[in-house]
Amino acid sequence: MKQLILVVAVLITTTLNAQITKATLQASGLTCSMCSNAIYKSLKSVEFVEKVEANIKNSSFELSFKPGSKVDIDQLKEKVEDAGFFVASLTALVELDKITLSNDTHVDIGGSTFHFLNIKDQVADGVIKLKILDKGYVTAKAFKQNSKYTTMECYKTGKASSCCAKGGLTEGSRIYHVTI
Amino acid sequence: MKKIFLFLLVFAFEKVFAQELFVFTEPASNMAAKSLGIRLNNYWMKEKADNKTNYHLLPELMIGISKKVMLHGEIFLSNRNDKFVAEGGSLYLKYRFFSIDDVHSHFRLAALGRYSYNNSSIHQQAIDLFGHNSGYEAGLVATKLINKVAMSAGLSYLHATDNGVEKFIYSNKERNAVYYTLSFGKLMLPKEYTSYNQTNVNLMFEMIGQTNIGNNKTYLDLAPSLQFIFNSRMRFDLGYRFPVVNALSRTADRGAVIKFEYNIFNAF
Repeated sequence: MKQLILVVAVLITTTLNAQITKATLQASGLTCSMCSNAIYKSLKSVEFVEKVEANIKNSSFELSFKPGSKVDIDQLKEKVEDAGFFVASLTALVELDKITLSNDTHVDIGGSTFHFLNIKDQVADGVIKLKILDKGYVTAKAFKQNSKYTTMECYKTGKASSCCAKGGLTEGSRIYHVTI
Repeated sequence: MKKIFLFLLVFAFEKVFAQELFVFTEPASNMAAKSLGIRLNNYWMKEKADNKTNYHLLPELMIGISKKVMLHGEIFLSNRNDKFVAEGGSLYLKYRFFSIDDVHSHFRLAALGRYSYNNSSIHQQAIDLFGHNSGYEAGLVATKLINKVAMSAGLSYLHATDNGVEKFIYSNKERNAVYYTLSFGKLMLPKEYTSYNQTNVNLMFEMIGQTNIGNNKTYLDLAPSLQFIFNSRMRFDLGYRFPVVNALSRTADRGAVIKFEYNIFNAF
């Protein structure tokens, strides 16, 4: 039993080693400070968010996450939309410990699946910046343009389809499409 | 009239930050989901017949039900019939069904509906569901934020019913009207945003019109206003409306407005 607990503990620590620590989010559809404040309050209410710093002029928000917490990127998007606006761009800072990243493949980072597009194959060590490319995180035009980087079905929906099942992903599970 | 258009043109193309939190109309954008707003609408309208000033107080509760749906409820209080009494209330629902957003710009469309109950006497041809008539409104509103200038246009159908036991005194056809609005908003201060505590000063210019379907008569009002926003959550509005076309009868057609609003985010 002790051994099992140890294994689980090691596993959890390994996952936490690759944690999303910060994110920069730019919102679209607003200019006024009252609108910005609505987004700010909405983002502040997210459980895993530790700190939000707003730049009202640029409609952007610097987010820090609580150490050890699982960051649900989609929840951030929902919170911006709840405030009545949309996400124009979102980049996340992730700490990686010698993880191999290959173009057009899926990688598990911090408990979430990421699909890397338009990158050079590399071993990532240290902090890297991921830009989310999914629908609702970029302009409709950019989303269309980026479709040339993959033929996989999951790009269209952001969810695992039959194409991704080979990697052991359950159909319908969330895949974040990102670039560096 | 030419001067007005020139003013509007200058207003529309000057590249400044703008606001769409209009004083006399509602934009297509909604308040945040799970937020509450409390508003006190005060109107001082000049009675044409005896120069008396009618005071209308409309306390209003606003609820952001979801990101697309918001609900307002108002109570109508006034001293129009000498004593300051409650005369009814209203429910207003707005559904934002279309939105194209970009950084610092958007185009949005919303559908709206209002039901009002009022028990005061019916005393004018113009239909006013905000403190005078019982009835309902169904309409659309489009709001555009472009080059950091906000513009909004609304078109509604109004139908007046009897005011409780007080019968509608005009012909049945005159129960129906078309209501249209055009609003412009511009942020005057601050020049540059640095914090949520900066006081925002907005200048608004709105046009409010109504054409009765039964008698084809119209009124068109101009309504300039000044708005202050404190701590990015409190609003204080000062406005005045006056007619430029005045064929559709109203007993009190001009007057001042003061609104106070407080917003609570993540309220439930």
